Amino acid sequence: MAELFVQQLVNWITLGCIYALLAIGFSLIFGVLNVIHFSHGDVAMTSPFIALAAAQALAIAIGVSGPVWLIVAACFAVFAVGLIGVVLDKVVIRRFRDAPAMMALVATVALGIVIRELIRHLYPQGSNPHAFPRLASGVALEIAGVQVGWFTLLVVALTLVLVVLLFAFLRLTPLGLRIRAASEDRIVARMMGIRDTRVFRATFFVASAIGAIAGLLFASYAGVTRFDFGVMAGLLGFSAAVIGGLGSMPGAILGGLIIAGIEVLAQTFVPDGASYRLVFVFLLVIGVLLFRPEGLLGRPVMVKV
Amino acid sequence: MSTRASSEMPGLGQAAAVVVGIQLLGAAFLYLILKAEGGLEVVGLLALLAAGFYLLEKRPQITDFVMASFSRTPVVALVTAVVVVVLFPFAVGNNTYVLHLLIVAQLYAVLALALNFQLGSANIPNFATGASYGIGAYVSALLAINFGLSFWLTLPAAAIAATLFGFLIGIPSMRTRDTYLALVTIAFGVVVQQLLNNFDWTGGPNGLVGIPAPSLFGHSFASPLVVFGWKLPSQANFYYLSALLVVVAIVTAHRLHSSRIGLAWNALRADEIAARAQGINVAWFKVLAFAVDAFLAAFAGTIYAFYVSYISPDNFTFLVSVTIMTMVIVGGMDNIFGVIVGAFLLTILPEKLRAFSDYRLLFFGIVIIGFLMIRPQGLFPQRIRSYGESR
Repeated sequence: MAELFVQQLVNWITLGCIYALLAIGFSLIFGVLNVIHFSHGDVAMTSPFIALAAAQALAIAIGVSGPVWLIVAACFAVFAVGLIGVVLDKVVIRRFRDAPAMMALVATVALGIVIRELIRHLYPQGSNPHAFPRLASGVALEIAGVQVGWFTLLVVALTLVLVVLLFAFLRLTPLGLRIRAASEDRIVARMMGIRDTRVFRATFFVASAIGAIAGLLFASYAGVTRFDFGVMAGLLGFSAAVIGGLGSMPGAILGGLIIAGIEVLAQTFVPDGASYRLVFVFLLVIGVLLFRPEGLLGRPVMVKV
Repeated sequence: MSTRASSEMPGLGQAAAVVVGIQLLGAAFLYLILKAEGGLEVVGLLALLAAGFYLLEKRPQITDFVMASFSRTPVVALVTAVVVVVLFPFAVGNNTYVLHLLIVAQLYAVLALALNFQLGSANIPNFATGASYGIGAYVSALLAINFGLSFWLTLPAAAIAATLFGFLIGIPSMRTRDTYLALVTIAFGVVVQQLLNNFDWTGGPNGLVGIPAPSLFGHSFASPLVVFGWKLPSQANFYYLSALLVVVAIVTAHRLHSSRIGLAWNALRADEIAARAQGINVAWFKVLAFAVDAFLAAFAGTIYAFYVSYISPDNFTFLVSVTIMTMVIVGGMDNIFGVIVGAFLLTILPEKLRAFSDYRLLFFGIVIIGFLMIRPQGLFPQRIRSYGESR
């Protein structure tokens, strides 16, 4: 029993960290632009494909391969996805900034379709699942007879570092200050001389890069990547961000942990729970929003008349 | 707008000619695009359509003139519409694929009209129309397969079940709004789809097979329709049935739009707090919008289930709800005619893009994004309510 408990705890933390990283992107973009970037999940899941392609290109061009070069390829993918986010913002999402919320939602859902189809057509045999290697392998330590792999430690450490860096970035740097100002009140921020295009560019780069890391970890956790993983990644990350409270970073992390928690619980304790896990996840989403309509850590919306 | 409309009021004969001409033109265009085979043909027709809308954009008085003609001669308009709809299958002949497209387009038109009550009239997002559609289809199919109930009895049963579901989704709508409400409806949609996918008694991912064809006065809908020696393929039965449903949906939409309920929904859209201050029961009208949406969607679902005689959870995914939503936005929110055009266009277009085979989803996505960027108000923008002006 203890063994099972620890094992599920490990699963929960791994998955929770990945979802939290996805949710942070949704929350960050919504906080600054007030737009739901529904294709964020799809953007994030392009990173495993870019990493695989980069690793292959390295192997062909300079004949190197192995774990170190995989990390190099992964870093390249993270950077590339950040740029993709910036481009998408410039070409599509920015135009829906002042449109009704539903427009942006539908447009970004369509954008998600486009991204998925592009992966499918541009990547060789993109319709098929592709094996994705573990970014770290081997057993790191043993707790109560359960082996905890380096991969789990990598996920947790990476998440902690990213969250700390993000907080430091938002709190301590001038650009972070501008992002926070724009997310508080875009018009006043502009009157204070903050160029919002730069703020949006930075926000999209950071959010997409963090999403890319989540995408790499997700593919690595699953051991495989598919062009349509982005749908689920997007839905779960979006749900995590919303039940945590859109625009709140701690909320996004909390939301990610909760979503992963219910998923692991359902898989462990409910018979046939693996196939019903999404039912439990989304029932929880409905339940949370019923009692906390602005999310767990979100600011209640005050309407002035 | 009002001054221009009154100054260019068309004469009676002129109006009748315009009405008949416009409708025949529309029917001819639909016929051509349905028959179009090559990619070049489709692109050409779409360019023609775009040119038409560009002209309307530049010369709004044309729209006003046509609108005035229609309201001048409502009987002529109605008779022409009925004749066109009834005779269309005869023009199509034995092409069952075209008939199939028309049936699906009509069912989507009903779904889009259903969603229009919420998204268009009251501006409430709902990503669960696909789920209501699925509930309608599954309830009627299960009743028909397990209890041998006839199609005509499963129709109201499915509608009641889906309406209850609509009330259920409506309850959180009293507390949440905008993005949060959108997520609640997405969640409901996913839950329903996943349950259908996992329960044993819904057939799981394999769905339900062998839904019996309905029959009316001893005429089975699976057999060809014979009218005055003309033999139409069996799809024609369902074509007329779904056309009837579209008529019901239009009448419902029109009556609701003209009633205090439609007015209350519009008030909600304009300003919820002001509406509340005017004594409108905001919560009730929001829930009602969900219920009406589910009610109509269930009818469409029932006809779909009996038409294809095979349903699976894949027919009712989140993407279906998004497609319906796109139809409403593309057609023009709160514009009954526009929503129907949107539904037809977005049903037929992906099928015609099969010329680009593997790339059609890609094109579809790009077309939608481009459309939302270029013409966010939809093909036919909503019109300001006018009282006592046109009659």
